[in-house]
Amino acid sequence: MAASNDNMAENDTQSRRDVLKTAGAAGAAGIAGLAGCLEGGNGGGNGGGNGGGESEYPSLGNYPIEGDTAVLGFNVPQTGPYQEEGADELRAYELAADHLNNGGGWVDLWEDLSGDGVNGYEIDYVTGDTATDADTARESASRMIERDNVIMFSGGSSSATAIAQQGLAQQSSVLFMCCLTHSNDTTGGDCVRYGFREMFNAYMTGQALAPIVTEEYGEDLEFYQLYADYTWGQTQQESMRQFFEEAGWSEVDSVPTPLGTDDYSTFLQEAVDSGADVLFLNHYGLDGSNSVSQAIDQGINEDMEIVVPLYNVPMAAGASGSIEGIFGTDDWDANLDNEATQAFVDAFEEEYGSTPSSPARLAYSSTMLYAAAVERAGTFYPPEVIRELEGYEWNNGGIGEEIMRECDHQSMRDILVVRGLAEEDQDPDTGRYWEVVEQSSYPDSVGYECDSGPAAECELGDYGDE
Amino acid sequence: MSVVGAVVGFAIQTLAVSSIYILVAIGLSITLGTLKFVNFAHAAMYLAGVYIGLGIALELQFTGDIARSIGLGNVGLDLGFLAALAIIPIITFGLGLLMERFVARPFYDRPDTDQILVTFGILLIVQELIRAFVGGRSLTFSRPAWAQGAISLGPLGTYASWRLAIIGITSVLVLAVYLYIEYTDVGLAVRAGTEDAEMVNLLGVRATRPFLVIFGVGSGLAGAAGVVGGPVFSVVPEIGVGVLVPAFLVVVVGGVGSIVGSVVGGLLIGAVEVGLVMNAPTWSSVGIYALAAVVLLVRPAGLMGVVEVDE
Repeated sequence: MAASNDNMAENDTQSRRDVLKTAGAAGAAGIAGLAGCLEGGNGGGNGGGNGGGESEYPSLGNYPIEGDTAVLGFNVPQTGPYQEEGADELRAYELAADHLNNGGGWVDLWEDLSGDGVNGYEIDYVTGDTATDADTARESASRMIERDNVIMFSGGSSSATAIAQQGLAQQSSVLFMCCLTHSNDTTGGDCVRYGFREMFNAYMTGQALAPIVTEEYGEDLEFYQLYADYTWGQTQQESMRQFFEEAGWSEVDSVPTPLGTDDYSTFLQEAVDSGADVLFLNHYGLDGSNSVSQAIDQGINEDMEIVVPLYNVPMAAGASGSIEGIFGTDDWDANLDNEATQAFVDAFEEEYGSTPSSPARLAYSSTMLYAAAVERAGTFYPPEVIRELEGYEWNNGGIGEEIMRECDHQSMRDILVVRGLAEEDQDPDTGRYWEVVEQSSYPDSVGYECDSGPAAECELGDYGDE
Repeated sequence: MSVVGAVVGFAIQTLAVSSIYILVAIGLSITLGTLKFVNFAHAAMYLAGVYIGLGIALELQFTGDIARSIGLGNVGLDLGFLAALAIIPIITFGLGLLMERFVARPFYDRPDTDQILVTFGILLIVQELIRAFVGGRSLTFSRPAWAQGAISLGPLGTYASWRLAIIGITSVLVLAVYLYIEYTDVGLAVRAGTEDAEMVNLLGVRATRPFLVIFGVGSGLAGAAGVVGGPVFSVVPEIGVGVLVPAFLVVVVGGVGSIVGSVVGGLLIGAVEVGLVMNAPTWSSVGIYALAAVVLLVRPAGLMGVVEVDE
């Protein structure tokens, strides 16, 4: 099916070029007339390769694409507390763009994709630095939309930046594919029609962690939380409280820490003084590396059990041996044994000489999901691409069966519950910093209905073609 | 915990938080007080202390774009932490002399805005050079084996050994610089120059050399701060900018040109930070700015300063 669409797209593009050459001689009036003829001839739902004013769809956002190159925007934190995640995301985005144009990686596994551009268009991209700041992210994304005419943009880390960007996406009718964002609000109260998230959320982390951690450490324990003081940390601590109190534990206190805090020693001392049995460190990126390392330095693991609900490889590498024995969750692991994981890891290592992290997989995957949806829709027209993504099910993203729900644009999928290894057992060359304790599966262990959890607060906006 | 225990615990925590700020602030304060030079590039010395120190103590991995393109691999002397702590102040002292001669001196008579622009620019250049060669990913500066783990002080709480070591190292370094400035000829010239540079010149004292030396001493302290602070935080190129702001606030609060002022300012900033974390954590990041604002309103020269910041 994908192949036939590609052929159609190629033919359409060629015929359009021929037409434009002729039209160039005939003048503007001639162009309008010929374009009108083409619109009539392109009925039947094929929008592939239709740039300029020849589309069967009306202009919307940055559609139709001018020329024969579709520009994507990759807006990641290149500075700030989440810069390491951003750097790995950017590598993966660039790899995805290369594969979409030239084949390789998942393009060779996904039948919707051809390796010859997307829907007849060559893929180009622009990049931006969100500086891990919502306002900066919005400004950068605005430039991408208005100046660079991106047809889709993607990014994340942090959730605040992702939410800011997807709000802009809805206003601008330009699709935003979330990368690393774990706040419940992204596909809860702040969900939008023009945003999709493959990453799981804090609510699902709570569902995955609570049974395993409470079984490991015992019943009726008291816990203390430190959390990054913005949307992600706030929903993260709420979900931890909900699921661990439902499991019989009780919260002693939950304390916000400013994003980008370097020195957690005083916060940690307060946690120890609370007398709680377990400490949740709801920090991520450099903040997570710092807080968990400083907690171990301070000897907190001698008085309390430590849990880091959301992990990733750059963070674990920064914390090194400090994560030994500490539970957490992650999106994906480079050592999983499946074809998609192997293809992505091989391609990434060949290109960059390092093992990709889970944020990198999310970046790569979000680009591929969008491109495949465009191919299936046969057009870049945003409402049609959105409809292709809604309810889409796939199992070739390296993490098993996934479904992108229509009701809240949240992916329902498995989650890895992991436990940090001792420094001597870690292997940075293969990205091995923990053991996978369990792949908590959807719908048996994680997930929720469209009228419950974060989804209950979600009201997606308009498609833009109503 | 008893009241005494709580107070002593608070004091230890304050000292631990303040130490790095004080080490960096002293150089800033002296330079601003004696030379009337606003030196934001001072934080580059902290960066040099962390990264070069890491290369001396252990090994520095060059993974930046430029390093990769020229095939630069890992470089390290693996001499251990104490060697780094001994060598880095010397290196950054030398770098400080070079900076004074080639960067600061041409800008002594220029407006503050020029000084800020050029020195902040230098800091950013150094930061991006590090990113280009060493890379942007965070590095771990492992602390020496003797300072790993935690020490229990009974009812006063449990503290990271390294934090207590930092308090000790900072105390020794600050005391040494204080004695140097208070009881040597160089220090006398510097103190006199801080009070009235014009009169010192009229009296025939050649103040250029003492000022040069003191510029280097301040840089050496910042380098030492990098070595002792490196093992506490994730090492990334932005840590220079990160330490600059609180250090500058210490100078504002403590007063320009005063070592005692830097210590008092640092302790106050640390106490406010620790106190707010304990009682109103949401306000912990803005509390130090509020303190600086209040001090500027009440005592524009800072608590112990002899020169107003805007003079």
